[in-house]
Amino acid sequence: MPEQTSALWPLGLYCLAVVAITTVILGISHVLGERHSEKGTAIPYESGMTPTGSAQLRFSADFYLVAMFFVIFDLESIFVFAWAVAARDVGWSGYTELFVFVGILLAALAYLWRSGALTWGTGGQAHAPRPGKEIEP
Amino acid sequence: MRPDDLAALSPLLILAGAAVAVLLAAAVFRSHRLAVALTLAGLAAAFASLSIAWPHAPRPVTTLLAIDHFALFYMGLILAAAFTVVLFSHDYLATTCLPTEGVGQTSGPRREEYYVLMLLAVVGSAVLVASVHFASFFLGLELLSVSLYALVAYRREGRLGIEAGVKYLILGGAASAFLLFGMALVYAALGSLDFSGLARGFARGDGEGLLPLAGIGLMVVGIGFKLSLVPFHGWAPDVYQGAPAPVTAFVATVSKGAVFALLLRFFSMLQPPRHGALATVVALVAVASMFAGNWLALLQTNVKRLLAYSSIAHMGYLLVALLASGPWAPTAVTGYLTAYIVTILGAFGVVSVLSTRSRDADGVEDYRGLAWRRPWLAGVFTAMLLSLAGIPLTVGFIGKFYVLAAGVNSDLWLLVVMLAVNSAIGLFYYLRLIAVLYRPPSEAAAGAVASLSLPLGSAALLTLTLALIILGVYPAPLITAIQACLP
Repeated sequence: MPEQTSALWPLGLYCLAVVAITTVILGISHVLGERHSEKGTAIPYESGMTPTGSAQLRFSADFYLVAMFFVIFDLESIFVFAWAVAARDVGWSGYTELFVFVGILLAALAYLWRSGALTWGTGGQAHAPRPGKEIEP
Repeated sequence: MRPDDLAALSPLLILAGAAVAVLLAAAVFRSHRLAVALTLAGLAAAFASLSIAWPHAPRPVTTLLAIDHFALFYMGLILAAAFTVVLFSHDYLATTCLPTEGVGQTSGPRREEYYVLMLLAVVGSAVLVASVHFASFFLGLELLSVSLYALVAYRREGRLGIEAGVKYLILGGAASAFLLFGMALVYAALGSLDFSGLARGFARGDGEGLLPLAGIGLMVVGIGFKLSLVPFHGWAPDVYQGAPAPVTAFVATVSKGAVFALLLRFFSMLQPPRHGALATVVALVAVASMFAGNWLALLQTNVKRLLAYSSIAHMGYLLVALLASGPWAPTAVTGYLTAYIVTILGAFGVVSVLSTRSRDADGVEDYRGLAWRRPWLAGVFTAMLLSLAGIPLTVGFIGKFYVLAAGVNSDLWLLVVMLAVNSAIGLFYYLRLIAVLYRPPSEAAAGAVASLSLPLGSAALLTLTLALIILGVYPAPLITAIQACLP
């Protein structure tokens, strides 16, 4: 495939250039740059406020849950957009299909709501009456 | 969508509707019995709707699905198997997944979601057996797999369950990526995503060359993973061991059966050359699966792991039938799969029925002297193990007989000899397990397994045993039904 190879050489040159320039910049600053090691050198803001605490916090799982719901429902909305541009062409059968699709989404939302997934934090859930507690053994 | 299309699709539609119904029921009123009843009703309705779809077959519904007699037969098999698994699941979850006190809301019983996931997995399997297009193939497979990832890790209190779930998720994701890339390469070479277009491409000779070969090779990896064929079997023992026993039964029967049905359709449509690269690779994988499965099963002391290796070997036997050409091959594959599904369901059903709240009954010690403590259950387990070994008067023998006949008919002598050798190896560990059942019980084991009344699971076991013996003694109706359904 000679024509493909000839089309690819600028890309190869570009890659080489990237590596070369990075090496030169880092190398020159390594050789010429000044070095000092004092009390405040290693902290993020050398002349600013002193950081407190660790950066490795434990986030509440609720954040992940909300992010996940967002991604799921956001992705579903893409299907609605895809239907919208072709709405007239696909006609009533397309409308019915979308109706079923959104209906299933609503069912999922109802399930999430009733099972307490939309309640923020553990405190709220502890006080809120949990739906349908299991009675049978 | 014409009304005829909807009628042909009715089993799939009913299944999907049942999944949403169980979800909504769980939202409004959490009750284990309600969820089980709805699930069973959905599966039964879908099974009944097969008769609505039957007159419309064979019928292509969009370019993605083909509802033909083959698909409907496999859907029936899948629905029946799933029905049985749900019966076991009810007893299993009622025993093991009890409400626990305190520690936030996540530790609640949460038994209803299990059935939603199971119904979704059944929808995925039903799509798989009807798919004639790479897109529906992949969608069905993902629907099945994603539901199974959650089901495998359903018991979150133990380490094994989580480990099995994570392993299955990561390896399954990698396998899906392989499969997808393989599909892309095949599409790049042949310019078609539906199976009939691919078949035309292969007939024209577009299938020669490196690109389609690489694509098919990558697809073999993806499918080999789903069927746990050697050398892609690494996950099987751990997942079988860590998953709840009914889920293991589901993975071993419905999931593998659906993928194998798709493979059978793919092979019978494409008619790959008998001595080409693909046939050679499949033959190698078959031999490796038979030997590795049976030899490693010899070393196991855990019943679930033993059954996992045994199922690896059984997939190897099935590949022999797949490689055989001629009129026998589809009958042999379908007959063997039916026998395998009945038997493995029964075997894992016994494990499930014996499981206690703290753990699954998977150690060999749990079975020691079972014949003295619970003679009926031991009898059922004996029948299942004999059927797995392929002893006459069981359905396993009929399946193996057809596979051997198909192999002999196509002059696959080497593979047939391997199969016979491996059946002998397999017999040894099945008989060893049976011997354990009839030993006098040890004092410790006598009290270890609490005997509870599990009506649904016992009924399912009884039905499976009857099916095993009746089909083993008088297989004619099954074979006639299979031959009527195959193209």
